[in-house]
Amino acid sequence: MQISPTRRSFPNEFRKYWAILQTQVANSFAYPADLLYRSISIVLFMWIFAQLWRVTYGASGESVIAGLTLRDTMWYLMLAETMILSRPRVSTTIAENVKDGTIAYLLNKPYNFILYQFSFGLGDSLLRMITNSLVGGVVVWFLVGPPPDPRGWHLVLIAVLLAWIIDFCLNAMLGLLAFITEEIAAFEWIYNKFVLILGGVLIPLDFFPDWLQSIAFSLPFAYSVYGPARLFVDPTLSRFLDLILIQGLWVIALGVVLALLYRKGTAWLSINGG
Amino acid sequence: MSAIVVNDLQKTFETKRKTAGLRGSFRALFRPDVQQVEAVRGISFEMEQGELLGFIGPNGAGKSTTIKILTGILHPSGGQAEVLGYVPWQQRRPLAYHIGTVFGQRPQLWYHLPAIDTFHLFGKIYEQDDQALKSRIAMLAEAFEIEHLLETPVRKLSLGQRMRCEVAASMLHQPKLLLLDEPSIGLDVVAKQRIRDTIKRMNEQENTGVILTSHDASDIEALCKRVIIINHGQIIYSDKVSNLKRRYLTSKQVDVRYDKEIDPAFSLDGTEIIKLGRYGAKLYFDSRTTPVQSVISRLAEKGSLVDITISDPSLEEVIRTIYEEAESGADISH
Repeated sequence: MQISPTRRSFPNEFRKYWAILQTQVANSFAYPADLLYRSISIVLFMWIFAQLWRVTYGASGESVIAGLTLRDTMWYLMLAETMILSRPRVSTTIAENVKDGTIAYLLNKPYNFILYQFSFGLGDSLLRMITNSLVGGVVVWFLVGPPPDPRGWHLVLIAVLLAWIIDFCLNAMLGLLAFITEEIAAFEWIYNKFVLILGGVLIPLDFFPDWLQSIAFSLPFAYSVYGPARLFVDPTLSRFLDLILIQGLWVIALGVVLALLYRKGTAWLSINGG
Repeated sequence: MSAIVVNDLQKTFETKRKTAGLRGSFRALFRPDVQQVEAVRGISFEMEQGELLGFIGPNGAGKSTTIKILTGILHPSGGQAEVLGYVPWQQRRPLAYHIGTVFGQRPQLWYHLPAIDTFHLFGKIYEQDDQALKSRIAMLAEAFEIEHLLETPVRKLSLGQRMRCEVAASMLHQPKLLLLDEPSIGLDVVAKQRIRDTIKRMNEQENTGVILTSHDASDIEALCKRVIIINHGQIIYSDKVSNLKRRYLTSKQVDVRYDKEIDPAFSLDGTEIIKLGRYGAKLYFDSRTTPVQSVISRLAEKGSLVDITISDPSLEEVIRTIYEEAESGADISH
């Protein structure tokens, strides 16, 4: 007996994922201590970075290194750290769900599991993005002076969103690995180190030697952190257009791979506590 | 009309084994010792719409794996299955609108939020309109007696309270079929009873089909009309619960009380004394060799009866007998 097929309509679909995002935002308020803790860590990071780069600029005797002033570098690092500290723990969450078996509940609801994770992750990031950038911004302003031209901020916001999606796709792929191997901590460690170095979280990519830059710019990590952070301190339209074109291509490529991987992955899944 | 048709369903898991210690870990890394575990080995059965079907078996028998295949979250290694006309693992999403699931002790409610928030989220996910959802929540809240719990963060509820909310959450979208995997695990008698009553009520009012796994036979006894017993991934028994009892309930227990003290050497031919008190006794007999009639009349001759109760063994004991027979290779399935 086949029951009348349920039609998918765009408004209904959108309402689903919007509700998931809202619920997760509400859920984030249940962890005010967590929000605070993360904000404290950005204060610490920015202070350490300021000491390091002050010494570096002082020792070099230059006020501009690779096109960046000390103030640029610090605001760059503020946005880079904000993005890194606000990332959702997509892969870890999926791996935990597989381990404790709650994946069974998440998979048998009428939504797309990947889009569920997307909405959940975005809801998770939003509040932290706001608190981290506010706290980080105040600290950096105090340390090195006012932020870059606010007329470019709306462009930066678009680039940040695309960067977030790139990171989400890679992170979700790692999470799907848990369908097969269950233990993914080692892969996560490697991924995070790639983002840290080749994404330009610790050092702006401009300071790298040319050969390393060319490697970094041919990998997606540069566009999940470095791109928007660099645009923030140099908000020109041409830089923005170049950036979102490459980001867009990465989003499409990684999105397709993720969708295929998910389709394959569900067949490999085995659930604990059978 | 069949709600579920399952034919020769199989599921084999590959698990990596490693010997103890660091050396074992290294060896497992380069030459993994892959072991095939056959969780489900050729299960076939049918279930009618609106039927109450119990799935019973020891831990690791393959009950949960079967349920997970039927909900579409696990892909089988072989065989066919149709649930409400859908092939679950190929049409997981359309099927999801029509089934409700409970996986005992696994949470689906958001831990830090009150249950009502999850209910509203599920309403959106299952595309219910707000008015219908509201009246559905009111109805289920009354049935499960959780009205006063809905606004409390789930983490602050007791296990029994939480499970009632969990089961209610699975019924919000008026599923045609409920797949309940150990819904009463760890619950006290009262909480179990409330959940059973409501499941029964949904079955009667909405003709909801229920497939229930449990290792607690009393769940099955209280709820189900038909039972499938599964062990080592195979069906070893499938019949009505009443037939199961009639077939295996040949040993009976009698509790008897008299108005005067009884003889310390009290005995009765064809029965076995389990316990002897001052005024009464508890004894066992096999109704195939010793007719019930003869036991009662002979007990009545021994004095003036105050009370007499004859009871069947619990389903637990029956199932233990069946397991033992299956282990020893006797053919009891039909």
